[in-house]
Amino acid sequence: MRIEYVIKRLFYCFLAFFVGISITFVILHLMPGDYISHLLINIESTISPEASEAFKHKFGLDKSLTEQYFIYIDNLLQGDWGYSFEYGVPILNIVVEKLRWTLILLIPATLLSLLIGVFIGAYFGWKSGSKLDLSVLNVMIFIRAIPSYWWALMFVLIFGFYLGLFPLGGYMGIGVLESGTDYLDILHHSLLPMITLTLCSIPGNYYLMRNSMLLTVGEDYIITARGKGLSEKDILFKHTVKNAMLPMVTMITLELVFMISGSVFIETIFSWPGMGMLMIDAMNARDLPLLQGIFLMDTLLIIIANFTADMLYSCIDPRVKVGE
Amino acid sequence: MSLLRIIGLKAYFPTQDGIVKAVNTVDLEIEKNERVGLIGETGCGKTVLGFAIMRLLQPSTNIEGRIMYNGKDLLKLSEEEMRKIRGKEIAMIFQNPPTFLNPVLKIGYQIAESTQLHQGLDKKAAKEKAVGMLEAVKIPLSSKRVSEYPHQFSGGMKERAMIAMGLACDPSLIIADEPTKGLDITIKMQIVKLMKEVTRQGSMLFITHDLGVAAEICDNIAVMYAGELVEYAKTEDIFKNPMHPYTRGFLNSLPSRGLKQIRGISPSLIDLPSGCRFHPRCDHIEEVCKNWHPEMVECDKGHYVRCLQYG
Ligand SMILES: Nc1ncnc2c1ncn2[C@@H]1O[C@H](COP(=O)(O)OP(=O)(O)O)[C@@H](O)[C@H]1O
Ligand SMILES: [Mg+2]
Repeated sequence: MRIEYVIKRLFYCFLAFFVGISITFVILHLMPGDYISHLLINIESTISPEASEAFKHKFGLDKSLTEQYFIYIDNLLQGDWGYSFEYGVPILNIVVEKLRWTLILLIPATLLSLLIGVFIGAYFGWKSGSKLDLSVLNVMIFIRAIPSYWWALMFVLIFGFYLGLFPLGGYMGIGVLESGTDYLDILHHSLLPMITLTLCSIPGNYYLMRNSMLLTVGEDYIITARGKGLSEKDILFKHTVKNAMLPMVTMITLELVFMISGSVFIETIFSWPGMGMLMIDAMNARDLPLLQGIFLMDTLLIIIANFTADMLYSCIDPRVKVGE
Repeated sequence: MSLLRIIGLKAYFPTQDGIVKAVNTVDLEIEKNERVGLIGETGCGKTVLGFAIMRLLQPSTNIEGRIMYNGKDLLKLSEEEMRKIRGKEIAMIFQNPPTFLNPVLKIGYQIAESTQLHQGLDKKAAKEKAVGMLEAVKIPLSSKRVSEYPHQFSGGMKERAMIAMGLACDPSLIIADEPTKGLDITIKMQIVKLMKEVTRQGSMLFITHDLGVAAEICDNIAVMYAGELVEYAKTEDIFKNPMHPYTRGFLNSLPSRGLKQIRGISPSLIDLPSGCRFHPRCDHIEEVCKNWHPEMVECDKGHYVRCLQYG
């Protein structure tokens, strides 16, 4: 039973993966502009038609779109992500290198915002209706309603510029040229973007958890627990929080999508050398293969997260174990 | 002194549509080792009465009257003091085990929880006790079943587990809320037999809309209609000599007596009928019934009825 469930989930993952990359392929090719015409602006001279043709031929751009699509899929299945126009190196190498930088922000921000969001959400879901609960709800809506790049700009302005507590951007100080990599320095540079990303992601987690708590508190088995003479604290921790967290696990993936898109803006504003900034660069350069690679990596991240959530869910919810 | 004495109990829910008068001036006594049946149609206020005794109604409910338990008024106790009574001295078997059992906790844990709390058992002893309780309610393979989750139990077994939970701390009073509802006839009879066996000691308020089951189990029966008691008597008197027209109608709706339904529908608890609550559906209605609300009167020894025919 268990193994069938895993296989079924894996199958859905592959399906989602193929649908995902196909849609990406179509959308990217619908985008106006191409790499050559982008180059023209930069080098301010004309490129000979022969050179242009040679370039197109070299990268297979003279073939029909359908043909390109199948070549792309075929290459992917062999683990070949293609070459970047801009950098002329294998895309996988660039993306993996940049992913490391993104994860430096993304992992702590995900964990922190989850922890804080779930905690506040659980507490106010339990004590819902109080004045404080409503104030917190409004503050959360306010944080969420404002785009992450505005928060990023404000934080740079206040903590970086006026207070001078953090660097304005980048990932290392100029000093590393002499002293070599300084991890503390990187940490110092990463703090402000990380805090911004965390802050922007707290409301989503808070809201999911609070809602889930509100539903759970109204369940009949809470009455049973109270009827046994359990204290409110025991009812909260033993009968409510775990039940309320269950639906959260599957919703978390949605939050991750939100965070990845948020990190694009935040990385750009903080000049953080991650996938988000890479995406903006690739977009401006119309480096389609690179863009494709970035979206491919994002798709993979989300699918892996989703799969992990499903597996985790089946471990903590006894009802899924039988495989229905 | 009786174990439980309810005096003039009212439980009103303020809602957007108006005040739901779910329990209306109920007086009821339960002696030590007595089993009282509380019967009535769905929605007449039986569960609310049970919840009121356990003080499990939501805080916004307006509750009046007194619920004397061993000489103490439960309605006056602090939440802290009440917690020491719930599950230990008064326990409730809730009416719908599929929703009243926590789906993500093991059955054994849910039974063991109150024994750990009230009897100070450690984890191991509490688990052993839980196995014993499952055995007592006749669940086969109890030492294996104790580690299973509610969804692995059949409907009848969930009901048994719920009963085991209620009885775990040997409460002096058990409130059983329709423990036979929704079970098929063979399982129903098994549960009835079980309830008789396991509650030989201690008192019970047995809530049901099934008169046949009440007859099997209870010493006395209270009939409830639209939030108030309309008849109270020994079980055999209710069957041999039902006095209130509603009780008679209820008896006639039994399969053995021809399944004749009472005409009309039960009244809204927001707009209660004037006079006798039952008059719009009654076959013996006189003019006075429409305006005069009858009191409970003792017609025979220990046989009380709320009807103007007898007052
Ligand atoms: N929390 C509540 N708020 C408003 N009305 C309620 C509430 N709980 C129960 N009621 C109403 O009280 C009446 C009695 O309900 P209940 O005691 O559950 O009936 P039953 O006799 O079937 O157990 C019903 O009309 C029900 O709708
Ligand atoms: Mg009920």
